[in-house]
Amino acid sequence: MSTSASRALSWYQTTTALIVAGCLVAIVNFGVRSTFGFFTVPISDAHGWPREIFSFAMAVHNLVWGLATPVAGMLADRYGSARVLMAGAVIYCIGVLMMAFTETPFMFNVGGGLLVGVGVAFSSFSIVMAALGRIVPPERRSWAFGIATASGSMGQFIFAPLGAALISAYGWQNALIILAGLSLLIILFASPLMIQNTSSAPRTAGEADLTMRQAIGTAFGHGSYLLLVSGFFVCGFQLAFIVVHMPPYLTEHGISKEFAGFAMGLIGLFNVIGSYAAGIIGGRHQKHVPLAFIYLLRSGIVAAFVLLPVSNLTTLAFTISMGLLWLSTVPLTMGLVTVMFGTRYMATLYGFVFVSHQLGSFLGVWLGGRLYDQYGSYDIVWWLSVALGVFAFIVHLPIREQRATRFAPA
Amino acid sequence: MRASAHYLALMLFVTVLAIWLAAMAIIMRHAALPPEASGLMLAVFEPGTSEDEAFAGLTQAGARVVRPSGLGFIWVVAGDEPGLAGRLTRAGALGAYRDLPISPVIAGCFAVADAKLARLAP
Repeated sequence: MSTSASRALSWYQTTTALIVAGCLVAIVNFGVRSTFGFFTVPISDAHGWPREIFSFAMAVHNLVWGLATPVAGMLADRYGSARVLMAGAVIYCIGVLMMAFTETPFMFNVGGGLLVGVGVAFSSFSIVMAALGRIVPPERRSWAFGIATASGSMGQFIFAPLGAALISAYGWQNALIILAGLSLLIILFASPLMIQNTSSAPRTAGEADLTMRQAIGTAFGHGSYLLLVSGFFVCGFQLAFIVVHMPPYLTEHGISKEFAGFAMGLIGLFNVIGSYAAGIIGGRHQKHVPLAFIYLLRSGIVAAFVLLPVSNLTTLAFTISMGLLWLSTVPLTMGLVTVMFGTRYMATLYGFVFVSHQLGSFLGVWLGGRLYDQYGSYDIVWWLSVALGVFAFIVHLPIREQRATRFAPA
Repeated sequence: MRASAHYLALMLFVTVLAIWLAAMAIIMRHAALPPEASGLMLAVFEPGTSEDEAFAGLTQAGARVVRPSGLGFIWVVAGDEPGLAGRLTRAGALGAYRDLPISPVIAGCFAVADAKLARLAP
Protein backbone atom coordinates (compact mmCIF):
# COMPACT_ATOMS: atom_id res chain seq x y z
CA MET A 1 0.00 0.00 0.00
CA SER A 2 1.52 3.29 -0.99
CA THR A 3 -0.18 5.46 1.61
CA SER A 4 1.24 5.75 5.02
CA ALA A 5 1.63 2.24 6.32
CA SER A 6 1.95 3.47 9.84
CA ARG A 7 -1.65 4.70 9.93
CA ALA A 8 -4.12 2.11 11.21
CA LEU A 9 -6.36 0.94 8.39
CA SER A 10 -10.11 0.43 8.73
CA TRP A 11 -11.52 -2.90 7.55
CA TYR A 12 -12.74 -1.33 4.32
CA GLN A 13 -9.23 -0.08 3.56
CA THR A 14 -7.57 -3.48 3.68
CA THR A 15 -6.23 -4.82 0.41
CA THR A 16 -8.88 -7.53 0.34
CA ALA A 17 -11.68 -5.02 0.85
CA LEU A 18 -10.26 -2.77 -1.86
CA ILE A 19 -10.07 -5.65 -4.32
CA VAL A 20 -13.67 -6.63 -3.54
CA ALA A 21 -14.76 -2.99 -3.90
CA GLY A 22 -13.04 -2.72 -7.27
CA CYS A 23 -14.68 -5.94 -8.44
CA LEU A 24 -18.11 -4.66 -7.42
CA VAL A 25 -17.52 -1.48 -9.42
CA ALA A 26 -16.61 -3.61 -12.44
CA ILE A 27 -19.74 -5.75 -12.02
CA VAL A 28 -22.08 -2.75 -11.99
CA ASN A 29 -20.24 -0.87 -14.76
CA PHE A 30 -20.30 -3.76 -17.20
CA GLY A 31 -23.63 -5.07 -16.01
CA VAL A 32 -25.84 -2.03 -16.53
CA ARG A 33 -24.68 -1.45 -20.10
CA SER A 34 -25.13 -5.14 -20.95
CA THR A 35 -28.91 -4.71 -20.55
CA PHE A 36 -29.28 -2.00 -23.18
CA GLY A 37 -29.98 -4.39 -26.04
CA PHE A 38 -33.28 -5.37 -24.37
CA PHE A 39 -34.49 -1.79 -24.61
CA THR A 40 -34.20 -1.56 -28.39
CA VAL A 41 -37.74 -2.73 -29.11
CA PRO A 42 -39.67 -1.12 -26.22
CA ILE A 43 -38.02 2.30 -26.60
CA SER A 44 -38.29 2.30 -30.39
CA ASP A 45 -41.93 1.22 -30.21
CA ALA A 46 -42.83 3.70 -27.47
CA HIS A 47 -41.49 6.67 -29.45
CA GLY A 48 -42.41 5.35 -32.89
CA TRP A 49 -38.75 5.49 -33.90
CA PRO A 50 -37.02 3.25 -36.42
CA ARG A 51 -34.50 0.90 -34.79
CA GLU A 52 -31.71 2.94 -36.34
CA ILE A 53 -32.05 5.70 -33.74
CA PHE A 54 -31.46 3.37 -30.82
CA SER A 55 -28.69 1.54 -32.70
CA PHE A 56 -26.97 4.82 -33.55
CA ALA A 57 -27.02 5.91 -29.91
CA MET A 58 -25.46 2.59 -28.91
CA ALA A 59 -22.82 2.97 -31.62
CA VAL A 60 -22.05 6.48 -30.35
CA HIS A 61 -21.82 5.14 -26.79
CA ASN A 62 -19.28 2.50 -27.84
CA LEU A 63 -17.21 5.01 -29.76
CA VAL A 64 -17.31 7.59 -26.97
CA TRP A 65 -16.42 4.86 -24.46
CA GLY A 66 -13.27 4.16 -26.45
CA LEU A 67 -12.30 7.78 -26.98
CA ALA A 68 -13.04 8.83 -23.40
CA THR A 69 -11.05 6.00 -21.83
CA PRO A 70 -7.61 7.66 -22.21
CA VAL A 71 -9.07 10.91 -20.86
CA ALA A 72 -10.53 9.03 -17.92
CA GLY A 73 -7.16 7.33 -17.50
CA MET A 74 -5.31 10.66 -17.44
CA LEU A 75 -7.69 12.01 -14.83
CA ALA A 76 -7.43 8.81 -12.78
CA ASP A 77 -3.64 8.92 -12.90
CA ARG A 78 -3.70 12.58 -11.92
CA TYR A 79 -6.47 12.70 -9.32
CA GLY A 80 -6.92 9.07 -8.31
CA SER A 81 -9.21 6.35 -9.61
CA ALA A 82 -11.93 6.74 -6.98
CA ARG A 83 -12.82 10.32 -7.91
CA VAL A 84 -13.01 9.43 -11.60
CA LEU A 85 -15.13 6.35 -10.88
CA MET A 86 -17.53 8.44 -8.80
CA ALA A 87 -17.81 11.15 -11.44
CA GLY A 88 -18.35 8.42 -14.02
CA ALA A 89 -21.16 6.91 -11.95
CA VAL A 90 -23.00 10.23 -11.83
CA ILE A 91 -22.61 10.78 -15.60
CA TYR A 92 -23.64 7.16 -16.26
CA CYS A 93 -26.74 7.63 -14.11
CA ILE A 94 -27.76 10.86 -15.85
CA GLY A 95 -27.25 9.22 -19.25
CA VAL A 96 -29.44 6.24 -18.36
CA LEU A 97 -32.12 8.55 -16.92
CA MET A 98 -32.08 10.54 -20.15
CA MET A 99 -32.67 7.30 -22.03
CA ALA A 100 -35.82 6.87 -19.93
CA PHE A 101 -37.23 10.37 -20.25
CA THR A 102 -36.09 12.00 -23.48
CA GLU A 103 -38.61 12.36 -26.27
CA THR A 104 -36.36 13.33 -29.18
CA PRO A 105 -33.72 11.29 -31.03
CA PHE A 106 -31.14 14.05 -30.51
CA MET A 107 -31.51 14.09 -26.75
CA PHE A 108 -31.60 10.28 -26.70
CA ASN A 109 -28.24 10.28 -28.44
CA VAL A 110 -26.90 12.83 -25.97
CA GLY A 111 -28.03 10.66 -23.05
CA GLY A 112 -27.70 7.08 -24.28
CA GLY A 113 -24.79 7.80 -26.58
CA LEU A 114 -22.60 10.60 -25.28
CA LEU A 115 -23.25 10.63 -21.53
CA VAL A 116 -23.50 6.86 -21.13
CA GLY A 117 -20.31 6.48 -23.20
CA VAL A 118 -18.43 8.95 -21.00
CA GLY A 119 -19.96 7.44 -17.86
CA VAL A 120 -18.99 3.90 -18.83
CA ALA A 121 -15.44 5.02 -19.66
CA PHE A 122 -15.00 6.95 -16.42
CA SER A 123 -16.35 4.15 -14.26
CA SER A 124 -14.85 1.31 -16.26
CA PHE A 125 -12.84 -1.64 -15.07
CA SER A 126 -9.68 -0.22 -16.63
CA ILE A 127 -9.85 2.58 -14.07
CA VAL A 128 -10.53 -0.03 -11.39
CA MET A 129 -7.56 -2.08 -12.55
CA ALA A 130 -5.32 0.99 -12.41
CA ALA A 131 -6.31 1.40 -8.77
CA LEU A 132 -5.78 -2.29 -8.03
CA GLY A 133 -2.43 -2.22 -9.82
CA ARG A 134 -1.20 0.36 -7.34
CA ILE A 135 -2.74 -1.29 -4.32
CA VAL A 136 -1.64 -4.91 -4.68
CA PRO A 137 1.99 -6.04 -4.66
CA PRO A 138 3.52 -6.84 -8.08
CA GLU A 139 3.35 -10.60 -7.56
CA ARG A 140 -0.43 -10.45 -7.10
CA ARG A 141 -1.07 -7.80 -9.74
CA SER A 142 -1.92 -10.13 -12.61
CA TRP A 143 -4.32 -12.07 -10.42
CA ALA A 144 -5.97 -8.78 -9.38
CA PHE A 145 -6.39 -7.83 -13.06
CA GLY A 146 -7.87 -11.27 -13.67
CA ILE A 147 -10.43 -11.07 -10.88
CA ALA A 148 -11.42 -7.52 -11.91
CA THR A 149 -11.92 -8.61 -15.52
CA ALA A 150 -13.80 -11.70 -14.41
CA SER A 151 -16.03 -9.46 -12.30
CA GLY A 152 -16.86 -7.32 -15.32
CA SER A 153 -17.70 -10.51 -17.20
CA MET A 154 -19.88 -11.67 -14.34
CA GLY A 155 -21.65 -8.32 -14.40
CA GLN A 156 -22.58 -8.90 -18.02
CA PHE A 157 -23.73 -12.42 -17.26
CA ILE A 158 -25.98 -11.58 -14.31
CA PHE A 159 -27.33 -8.19 -15.37
CA ALA A 160 -28.63 -9.37 -18.74
CA PRO A 161 -31.45 -11.53 -17.33
CA LEU A 162 -31.93 -9.02 -14.51
CA GLY A 163 -32.52 -6.22 -17.01
CA ALA A 164 -34.93 -8.36 -19.02
CA ALA A 165 -36.84 -9.26 -15.86
CA LEU A 166 -36.98 -5.61 -14.78
CA ILE A 167 -38.51 -4.63 -18.12
CA SER A 168 -41.00 -7.44 -17.85
CA ALA A 169 -42.02 -6.72 -14.28
CA TYR A 170 -41.99 -2.92 -14.18
CA GLY A 171 -41.92 -1.67 -17.78
CA TRP A 172 -38.97 -0.29 -19.73
CA GLN A 173 -39.06 3.21 -18.27
CA ASN A 174 -39.05 2.09 -14.64
CA ALA A 175 -36.42 -0.53 -15.50
CA LEU A 176 -34.13 2.23 -16.77
CA ILE A 177 -34.73 4.29 -13.62
CA ILE A 178 -33.81 1.28 -11.48
CA LEU A 179 -30.69 0.65 -13.57
CA ALA A 180 -29.73 4.32 -13.28
CA GLY A 181 -30.06 3.97 -9.52
CA LEU A 182 -27.94 0.82 -9.56
CA SER A 183 -25.21 2.64 -11.47
CA LEU A 184 -24.89 5.01 -8.49
CA LEU A 185 -23.77 2.02 -6.39
CA ILE A 186 -20.41 2.61 -8.07
CA ILE A 187 -19.99 5.68 -5.83
CA LEU A 188 -20.41 3.52 -2.75
CA PHE A 189 -18.13 0.77 -4.03
CA ALA A 190 -15.46 3.22 -5.21
CA SER A 191 -15.24 5.11 -1.93
CA PRO A 192 -12.72 2.74 -0.26
CA LEU A 193 -10.42 3.30 -3.24
CA MET A 194 -9.99 6.93 -2.20
CA ILE A 195 -6.83 5.90 -0.36
CA GLN A 196 -5.05 4.68 -3.49
CA ASN A 197 -1.97 6.34 -4.88
CA THR A 198 -2.05 9.03 -7.58
CA SER A 199 0.64 10.67 -9.64
CA SER A 200 0.66 13.59 -7.27
CA ALA A 201 1.93 11.21 -4.62
CA PRO A 202 5.63 10.39 -4.49
CA ARG A 203 6.64 8.00 -7.25
CA THR A 204 6.90 4.39 -6.26
CA ALA A 205 10.18 2.52 -6.19
CA GLY A 206 11.50 1.41 -9.56
CA GLU A 207 9.70 4.10 -11.57
CA ALA A 208 11.23 7.08 -13.36
CA ASP A 209 10.02 10.60 -12.67
CA LEU A 210 8.29 11.49 -15.94
CA THR A 211 5.47 13.92 -16.65
CA MET A 212 2.32 12.53 -18.21
CA ARG A 213 3.16 14.13 -21.55
CA GLN A 214 6.62 12.57 -21.46
CA ALA A 215 5.15 9.23 -20.48
CA ILE A 216 2.69 9.21 -23.38
CA GLY A 217 5.33 10.35 -25.86
CA THR A 218 7.78 7.74 -24.68
CA ALA A 219 5.19 4.97 -24.77
CA PHE A 220 4.29 5.73 -28.38
CA GLY A 221 7.98 5.56 -29.25
CA HIS A 222 8.28 2.15 -27.64
CA GLY A 223 8.03 -0.70 -30.14
CA SER A 224 6.51 -3.26 -27.79
CA TYR A 225 3.75 -0.85 -26.80
CA LEU A 226 2.86 -0.24 -30.45
CA LEU A 227 2.73 -4.00 -31.02
CA LEU A 228 0.39 -4.33 -28.06
CA VAL A 229 -1.82 -1.53 -29.37
CA SER A 230 -2.04 -3.14 -32.81
CA GLY A 231 -2.81 -6.56 -31.32
CA PHE A 232 -5.63 -5.28 -29.15
CA PHE A 233 -7.35 -3.91 -32.25
CA VAL A 234 -7.85 -7.55 -33.28
CA CYS A 235 -9.46 -8.38 -29.95
CA GLY A 236 -12.05 -5.66 -30.46
CA PHE A 237 -12.68 -6.68 -34.05
CA GLN A 238 -13.27 -10.35 -33.24
CA LEU A 239 -15.47 -9.86 -30.19
CA ALA A 240 -17.70 -7.14 -31.61
CA PHE A 241 -18.20 -9.06 -34.83
CA ILE A 242 -19.24 -12.17 -32.92
CA VAL A 243 -21.57 -10.30 -30.54
CA VAL A 244 -23.45 -8.52 -33.29
CA HIS A 245 -23.32 -10.90 -36.24
CA MET A 246 -23.17 -14.34 -34.65
CA PRO A 247 -26.90 -14.57 -33.76
CA PRO A 248 -28.09 -13.87 -37.33
CA TYR A 249 -25.35 -16.17 -38.67
CA LEU A 250 -26.65 -18.98 -36.48
CA THR A 251 -30.31 -18.51 -37.38
CA GLU A 252 -29.32 -18.35 -41.04
CA HIS A 253 -27.78 -21.80 -40.59
CA GLY A 254 -30.87 -23.32 -39.04
CA ILE A 255 -30.14 -22.78 -35.34
CA SER A 256 -33.24 -21.60 -33.47
CA LYS A 257 -33.22 -18.06 -32.06
CA GLU A 258 -33.83 -19.49 -28.61
CA PHE A 259 -30.84 -21.82 -28.81
CA ALA A 260 -28.68 -19.07 -30.28
CA GLY A 261 -29.58 -16.81 -27.33
CA PHE A 262 -28.76 -19.57 -24.89
CA ALA A 263 -25.44 -20.33 -26.60
CA MET A 264 -24.46 -16.63 -26.62
CA GLY A 265 -25.25 -16.50 -22.90
CA LEU A 266 -22.69 -19.24 -22.33
CA ILE A 267 -19.98 -16.91 -23.64
CA GLY A 268 -20.59 -14.68 -20.62
CA LEU A 269 -20.40 -17.55 -18.17
CA PHE A 270 -17.21 -19.06 -19.54
CA ASN A 271 -15.73 -15.60 -19.93
CA VAL A 272 -15.67 -15.33 -16.13
CA ILE A 273 -13.59 -18.50 -15.89
CA GLY A 274 -11.29 -17.56 -18.78
CA SER A 275 -10.59 -14.04 -17.51
CA TYR A 276 -9.76 -15.25 -14.04
CA ALA A 277 -7.53 -18.04 -15.36
CA ALA A 278 -5.70 -15.59 -17.63
CA GLY A 279 -4.89 -13.44 -14.61
CA ILE A 280 -3.37 -16.43 -12.84
CA ILE A 281 -1.41 -17.51 -15.91
CA GLY A 282 -0.10 -13.97 -16.37
CA GLY A 283 1.23 -14.01 -12.83
CA ARG A 284 3.13 -17.24 -13.34
CA HIS A 285 4.50 -16.92 -16.87
CA GLN A 286 5.56 -14.24 -19.31
CA LYS A 287 2.39 -12.49 -20.38
CA HIS A 288 3.00 -11.93 -24.07
CA VAL A 289 3.29 -15.65 -24.90
CA PRO A 290 -0.12 -16.75 -23.56
CA LEU A 291 -1.58 -13.57 -25.03
CA ALA A 292 -0.21 -14.47 -28.46
CA PHE A 293 -1.58 -17.99 -28.17
CA ILE A 294 -5.02 -16.73 -27.16
CA TYR A 295 -5.23 -14.97 -30.53
CA LEU A 296 -3.93 -18.04 -32.35
CA LEU A 297 -6.45 -20.26 -30.56
CA ARG A 298 -9.26 -17.87 -31.44
CA SER A 299 -8.24 -18.13 -35.11
CA GLY A 300 -8.18 -21.91 -34.91
CA ILE A 301 -11.61 -22.04 -33.26
CA VAL A 302 -13.16 -19.63 -35.77
CA ALA A 303 -11.65 -21.56 -38.69
CA ALA A 304 -12.94 -24.88 -37.35
CA PHE A 305 -16.39 -23.41 -36.74
CA VAL A 306 -16.64 -22.01 -40.26
CA LEU A 307 -15.36 -25.20 -41.87
CA LEU A 308 -17.59 -27.59 -39.91
CA PRO A 309 -21.33 -27.85 -40.55
CA VAL A 310 -23.20 -25.57 -38.13
CA SER A 311 -25.13 -27.58 -35.55
CA ASN A 312 -26.22 -27.14 -31.94
CA LEU A 313 -23.13 -29.09 -30.88
CA THR A 314 -20.63 -27.03 -32.88
CA THR A 315 -22.37 -23.83 -31.75
CA LEU A 316 -22.01 -24.84 -28.11
CA ALA A 317 -18.39 -25.86 -28.62
CA PHE A 318 -17.70 -22.51 -30.30
CA THR A 319 -19.38 -20.30 -27.71
CA ILE A 320 -17.86 -22.15 -24.75
CA SER A 321 -14.34 -22.08 -26.17
CA MET A 322 -14.64 -18.47 -27.33
CA GLY A 323 -16.09 -17.58 -23.93
CA LEU A 324 -12.96 -18.94 -22.26
CA LEU A 325 -10.82 -16.73 -24.52
CA TRP A 326 -13.20 -13.73 -24.57
CA LEU A 327 -11.78 -11.10 -22.18
CA SER A 328 -8.80 -13.24 -21.18
CA THR A 329 -6.71 -10.83 -23.25
CA VAL A 330 -7.47 -7.97 -20.85
CA PRO A 331 -5.52 -8.96 -17.69
CA LEU A 332 -2.54 -9.95 -19.85
CA THR A 333 -2.63 -6.72 -21.87
CA MET A 334 -3.03 -4.58 -18.76
CA GLY A 335 -0.25 -6.58 -17.14
CA LEU A 336 2.09 -5.90 -20.05
CA VAL A 337 1.37 -2.17 -19.88
CA THR A 338 2.30 -2.27 -16.20
CA VAL A 339 5.48 -4.26 -16.82
CA MET A 340 6.60 -1.83 -19.52
CA PHE A 341 5.65 1.44 -17.87
CA GLY A 342 4.92 0.83 -14.19
CA THR A 343 1.73 1.78 -12.39
CA ARG A 344 1.98 5.56 -12.35
CA TYR A 345 0.43 6.21 -15.76
CA MET A 346 -1.10 2.80 -16.35
CA ALA A 347 -4.70 4.02 -16.67
CA THR A 348 -3.66 6.55 -19.32
CA LEU A 349 -1.46 4.17 -21.27
CA TYR A 350 -3.98 1.32 -21.12
CA GLY A 351 -6.59 3.86 -22.20
CA PHE A 352 -4.77 4.41 -25.48
CA VAL A 353 -4.51 0.64 -26.02
CA PHE A 354 -8.25 0.47 -25.44
CA VAL A 355 -8.92 3.08 -28.12
CA SER A 356 -7.40 0.61 -30.57
CA HIS A 357 -9.73 -2.09 -29.20
CA GLN A 358 -12.79 0.08 -29.78
CA LEU A 359 -11.70 1.01 -33.30
CA GLY A 360 -11.44 -2.72 -33.96
CA SER A 361 -14.93 -3.17 -32.49
CA PHE A 362 -16.34 -0.51 -34.74
CA LEU A 363 -14.76 -2.06 -37.82
CA GLY A 364 -15.82 -5.58 -36.81
CA VAL A 365 -19.45 -4.55 -36.53
CA TRP A 366 -19.49 -2.29 -39.55
CA LEU A 367 -17.51 -4.53 -41.91
CA GLY A 368 -19.60 -7.52 -40.85
CA GLY A 369 -22.75 -5.80 -42.04
CA ARG A 370 -21.16 -4.10 -45.04
CA LEU A 371 -19.60 -7.24 -46.48
CA TYR A 372 -22.68 -9.30 -45.71
CA ASP A 373 -24.79 -6.84 -47.70
CA GLN A 374 -22.31 -6.98 -50.57
CA TYR A 375 -21.68 -10.73 -50.73
CA GLY A 376 -24.69 -12.20 -48.93
CA SER A 377 -22.44 -14.13 -46.58
CA TYR A 378 -20.37 -13.64 -43.45
CA ASP A 379 -17.63 -15.96 -44.72
CA ILE A 380 -15.25 -13.17 -45.76
CA VAL A 381 -15.40 -11.52 -42.35
CA TRP A 382 -15.00 -14.84 -40.55
CA TRP A 383 -11.82 -15.50 -42.54
CA LEU A 384 -10.67 -11.92 -42.02
CA SER A 385 -11.09 -12.56 -38.30
CA VAL A 386 -8.94 -15.70 -38.63
CA ALA A 387 -6.24 -13.77 -40.51
CA LEU A 388 -6.28 -10.94 -37.96
CA GLY A 389 -5.92 -13.49 -35.16
CA VAL A 390 -2.80 -14.89 -36.83
CA PHE A 391 -1.54 -11.31 -37.27
CA ALA A 392 -2.08 -10.65 -33.55
CA PHE A 393 -0.25 -13.89 -32.70
CA ILE A 394 2.72 -12.77 -34.77
CA VAL A 395 2.88 -9.22 -33.40
CA HIS A 396 2.67 -10.31 -29.77
CA LEU A 397 5.57 -12.75 -29.91
CA PRO A 398 8.36 -10.13 -30.25
CA ILE A 399 7.03 -7.98 -27.38
CA ARG A 400 9.83 -7.41 -24.87
CA GLU A 401 8.45 -8.01 -21.44
CA GLN A 402 10.61 -5.58 -19.50
CA ARG A 403 10.51 -2.00 -18.25
CA ALA A 404 10.82 0.52 -21.09
CA THR A 405 14.17 2.29 -20.95
CA ARG A 406 12.98 5.79 -20.04
CA PHE A 407 10.52 4.40 -17.49
CA ALA A 408 13.28 2.78 -15.48
CA PRO A 409 14.73 4.93 -12.69
CA ALA A 410 17.94 6.75 -13.51
CA MET B 1 -0.86 -17.85 -6.10
CA ARG B 2 -2.06 -18.52 -2.58
CA ALA B 3 -5.21 -20.57 -2.05
CA SER B 4 -6.68 -17.67 -0.06
CA ALA B 5 -6.76 -15.57 -3.24
CA HIS B 6 -8.83 -18.19 -5.04
CA TYR B 7 -11.02 -18.54 -1.96
CA LEU B 8 -11.62 -14.79 -2.04
CA ALA B 9 -12.58 -14.97 -5.71
CA LEU B 10 -14.87 -17.92 -5.08
CA MET B 11 -16.57 -16.27 -2.12
CA LEU B 12 -17.01 -13.02 -4.03
CA PHE B 13 -18.63 -14.70 -7.01
CA VAL B 14 -20.81 -17.00 -4.89
CA THR B 15 -22.02 -14.04 -2.82
CA VAL B 16 -22.78 -11.98 -5.92
CA LEU B 17 -24.65 -14.92 -7.46
CA ALA B 18 -26.66 -15.38 -4.26
CA ILE B 19 -27.65 -11.69 -4.23
CA TRP B 20 -28.50 -11.89 -7.91
CA LEU B 21 -30.73 -14.95 -7.40
CA ALA B 22 -32.53 -13.20 -4.55
CA ALA B 23 -33.05 -10.11 -6.72
CA MET B 24 -34.28 -12.25 -9.60
CA ALA B 25 -36.72 -14.02 -7.25
CA ILE B 26 -38.21 -10.69 -6.15
CA ILE B 27 -38.47 -9.36 -9.69
CA MET B 28 -39.95 -12.61 -11.07
CA ARG B 29 -42.67 -12.43 -8.38
CA HIS B 30 -43.61 -9.04 -9.78
CA ALA B 31 -43.54 -10.44 -13.31
CA ALA B 32 -46.08 -13.13 -12.37
CA LEU B 33 -49.46 -12.40 -13.89
CA PRO B 34 -52.75 -12.32 -11.96
CA PRO B 35 -55.47 -14.83 -13.04
CA GLU B 36 -57.43 -12.19 -14.96
CA ALA B 37 -54.51 -11.28 -17.23
CA SER B 38 -54.55 -11.79 -20.98
CA GLY B 39 -52.27 -10.93 -23.90
CA LEU B 40 -48.73 -12.17 -24.52
CA MET B 41 -47.33 -14.33 -21.73
CA LEU B 42 -44.92 -17.07 -20.78
CA ALA B 43 -46.67 -20.26 -19.68
CA VAL B 44 -44.63 -22.65 -17.58
CA PHE B 45 -45.57 -26.21 -16.69
CA GLU B 46 -43.99 -28.68 -14.31
CA PRO B 47 -40.51 -29.56 -15.61
CA GLY B 48 -40.69 -32.90 -17.34
CA THR B 49 -44.17 -32.25 -18.73
CA SER B 50 -44.21 -33.59 -22.27
CA GLU B 51 -44.79 -31.30 -25.21
CA ASP B 52 -48.11 -33.05 -25.96
CA GLU B 53 -49.39 -32.67 -22.40
CA ALA B 54 -48.41 -29.01 -22.26
CA PHE B 55 -49.95 -28.36 -25.68
CA ALA B 56 -53.18 -30.00 -24.54
CA GLY B 57 -53.22 -27.67 -21.53
CA LEU B 58 -52.65 -24.63 -23.74
CA THR B 59 -55.47 -25.68 -26.06
CA GLN B 60 -57.81 -26.24 -23.12
CA ALA B 61 -57.02 -22.75 -21.82
CA GLY B 62 -57.65 -21.20 -25.23
CA ALA B 63 -54.07 -19.97 -25.60
CA ARG B 64 -52.51 -19.33 -29.00
CA VAL B 65 -48.90 -20.52 -29.30
CA VAL B 66 -46.61 -17.63 -30.27
CA ARG B 67 -43.36 -19.57 -30.09
CA PRO B 68 -42.02 -22.69 -28.41
CA SER B 69 -38.97 -22.39 -26.17
CA GLY B 70 -37.22 -25.56 -27.17
CA LEU B 71 -38.24 -27.09 -23.84
CA GLY B 72 -41.62 -28.84 -23.81
CA PHE B 73 -42.77 -27.29 -20.55
CA ILE B 74 -42.11 -23.63 -21.44
CA TRP B 75 -44.20 -21.80 -24.08
CA VAL B 76 -44.73 -18.24 -25.16
CA VAL B 77 -48.47 -17.88 -25.75
CA ALA B 78 -51.10 -15.22 -26.31
CA GLY B 79 -54.83 -14.78 -25.94
CA ASP B 80 -57.17 -11.80 -26.06
CA GLU B 81 -59.93 -13.06 -23.77
CA PRO B 82 -59.51 -11.91 -20.16
CA GLY B 83 -58.57 -14.59 -17.65
CA LEU B 84 -56.05 -16.46 -19.81
CA ALA B 85 -53.47 -16.67 -16.98
CA GLY B 86 -56.07 -18.21 -14.66
CA ARG B 87 -57.26 -20.68 -17.29
CA LEU B 88 -53.66 -21.75 -17.90
CA THR B 89 -53.10 -22.57 -14.24
CA ARG B 90 -56.40 -24.44 -14.10
CA ALA B 91 -55.24 -26.40 -17.18
CA GLY B 92 -52.12 -27.55 -15.38
CA ALA B 93 -49.60 -24.73 -15.79
CA LEU B 94 -47.46 -23.81 -12.79
CA GLY B 95 -47.88 -20.16 -13.63
CA ALA B 96 -48.05 -17.42 -16.24
CA TYR B 97 -45.56 -14.57 -16.51
CA ARG B 98 -45.06 -11.46 -18.55
CA ASP B 99 -42.91 -12.30 -21.55
CA LEU B 100 -39.24 -11.60 -20.88
CA PRO B 101 -37.10 -10.27 -23.73
CA ILE B 102 -34.53 -13.03 -23.28
CA SER B 103 -34.36 -16.66 -24.32
CA PRO B 104 -37.63 -18.30 -23.17
CA VAL B 105 -35.55 -21.18 -21.82
CA ILE B 106 -33.72 -18.89 -19.39
CA ALA B 107 -36.85 -16.89 -18.61
CA GLY B 108 -38.82 -20.09 -18.16
CA CYS B 109 -36.30 -21.54 -15.73
CA PHE B 110 -36.59 -18.45 -13.50
CA ALA B 111 -40.38 -18.58 -13.88
CA VAL B 112 -40.53 -22.25 -12.86
CA ALA B 113 -38.36 -21.53 -9.81
CA ASP B 114 -40.62 -18.62 -8.84
CA ALA B 115 -43.82 -20.62 -9.37
CA LYS B 116 -42.47 -23.43 -7.19
CA LEU B 117 -41.47 -20.95 -4.47
CA ALA B 118 -44.87 -19.25 -4.68
CA ARG B 119 -46.60 -22.59 -4.14
CA LEU B 120 -44.44 -23.32 -1.10
CA ALA B 121 -45.32 -19.97 0.46
CA PRO B 122 -48.16 -20.07 3.03
